[in-house]
Amino acid sequence: MTGCSPREAIWQSGKLTLYRYRPITAGNGGVPLLIVYALVNRPYMMDLKEDRSLIRGLLSSGREVYLIDWGYPDGSDRFTTLADYIDRLLAECVAKVLKAHRVPALNLLGVCQGGVLSLCYSALHPQQVRNLITMVTPVDFHTSSDLLSKWVRHIDVGTFVADGNVSGEILNQLFLALMPFRLTQHKYVELMSAAPDAAQLKDFLRVEQWIFDSPDQAGAAFREFVTWLYQENRLIRQQLEIGGRKVDLRELRMPILNLIGKRDHLVPPAASRALGSAAASRDYTALELDLGHIGMYISARAQREVPAAIIDWLAAR
Amino acid sequence: MNTGAWGGWQAFSDAARSYLDGFASASPPNAAQQFSDFLREQFERAPQPWGGAHAAPSAMPFPGALPEAPAFGATREHQQRAQRIAEAALRMDAAQRRLQRLWSDVLREAAAKFVSQLAPTPSHAATPEVLRKLYDTWIDCAEDAYARVAHGDAFSQAQADFANAASQWRLEQQANLEHWSKFLDLPMRSEINSLTRRLRAVEEQLRTRTQPTGRSSAKPRSASTSRAKAKKKRT
Repeated sequence: MTGCSPREAIWQSGKLTLYRYRPITAGNGGVPLLIVYALVNRPYMMDLKEDRSLIRGLLSSGREVYLIDWGYPDGSDRFTTLADYIDRLLAECVAKVLKAHRVPALNLLGVCQGGVLSLCYSALHPQQVRNLITMVTPVDFHTSSDLLSKWVRHIDVGTFVADGNVSGEILNQLFLALMPFRLTQHKYVELMSAAPDAAQLKDFLRVEQWIFDSPDQAGAAFREFVTWLYQENRLIRQQLEIGGRKVDLRELRMPILNLIGKRDHLVPPAASRALGSAAASRDYTALELDLGHIGMYISARAQREVPAAIIDWLAAR
Repeated sequence: MNTGAWGGWQAFSDAARSYLDGFASASPPNAAQQFSDFLREQFERAPQPWGGAHAAPSAMPFPGALPEAPAFGATREHQQRAQRIAEAALRMDAAQRRLQRLWSDVLREAAAKFVSQLAPTPSHAATPEVLRKLYDTWIDCAEDAYARVAHGDAFSQAQADFANAASQWRLEQQANLEHWSKFLDLPMRSEINSLTRRLRAVEEQLRTRTQPTGRSSAKPRSASTSRAKAKKKRT
């Protein structure tokens, strides 16, 4: 499964592919938008089908849209670090887009864990980011409602990862355990008790496929992410270093739009809201929608509101 | 005959009879509490797929690898590894039992809350909609109860203890396999890791040589500052 909108690969490195989406309306010649998705799931959730596609919504405004697909890491990627992801791979993608459009800065849209990568990149290279958009992105990893954070705080991550990768299947079990009755029983009973509808069933299966299509995680990057962010909460404490350089959120002076899911069980709203006080931007907008983590990508309400909010916000800048 | 299973059935049968007797003698709350406590204890003691305490001796691949036995002689290293594997299995078992006990608490609390929310329903009103609503109520009660327990320190600690013991068990087993792979002259994971590291170092050197000078050392400057300066220049 790859998504529904036509696109072309413009650069590849290892497992990573940088895609450019083909315009569906006349372009407005604006600043290109680069979407940085999470490492833990596949990015086609942003473009699931025509009426469930954030990317299509953005393309409809005539914007140039690019997407980073991190691919499926294998054993040869086990020593790939966060610095590799941020300072090398993401930096190369940004450079390719900037060069293609002959602009000094682009718009960056980071989703979930990809939002954390985007925050780090923007703080390290603020001159290259004109506007920053974060979506369901954790910034403070120690908020009281963050169950995932509570669970991993006592884990010996070094032994857990050792020198290997982390299985996507194990991570899936962890995510299911956050709401076991709803995620392993209730949603299937709901499906079975609804009136038969082929289209709805297909939608359900698409999302189901996405949920369990979880790449293994490069061991070194996973160890750093869990230790530095979930356990030590270095990002909000301004103690994070990537590739030997401090990630200072006070460097985030560009306009920021922070999209938050009020019912997000993976990234609690408070974890995302923290960006407002940590960043130095004087043009900070937080948009809280009454949606959950996945609903933020694919719900009918998200389709109506999220692309429009991003387009309007960018148009004003 | 499996006396363990028979003994378990006997205990269950006795507890169930006692519960029914208590129910009949008009003291249902006490009887229910006792029966619930019995089930909780049994749930905690349920055997684990990896053997744990029940199978700890057979999990030791080396003779005499009881955790407390002193290790010495030419096979000292193997004995110690076997002891560490057995010790990790015991820790997994203990953590899993704590988790099962906590799960038992979740189900008990969920059931109590569910019962307290039930309203009398005439039998003729047991439509699919009513049943569905009942089911939704059960899920809400169960998730609420689970959230309370799962956010607690005891649950987090038990889960972490299990993960840590399982990770240790896996590491020791890997070391064991590495030993035998070396003996049979088969390629080992550590060798592949070593090659991967060397390849990464070579790639890094290559990148450093081909990278335009000063790219990574450029001082950060915000885009808004750049734009402001450009604007100033134009005016």
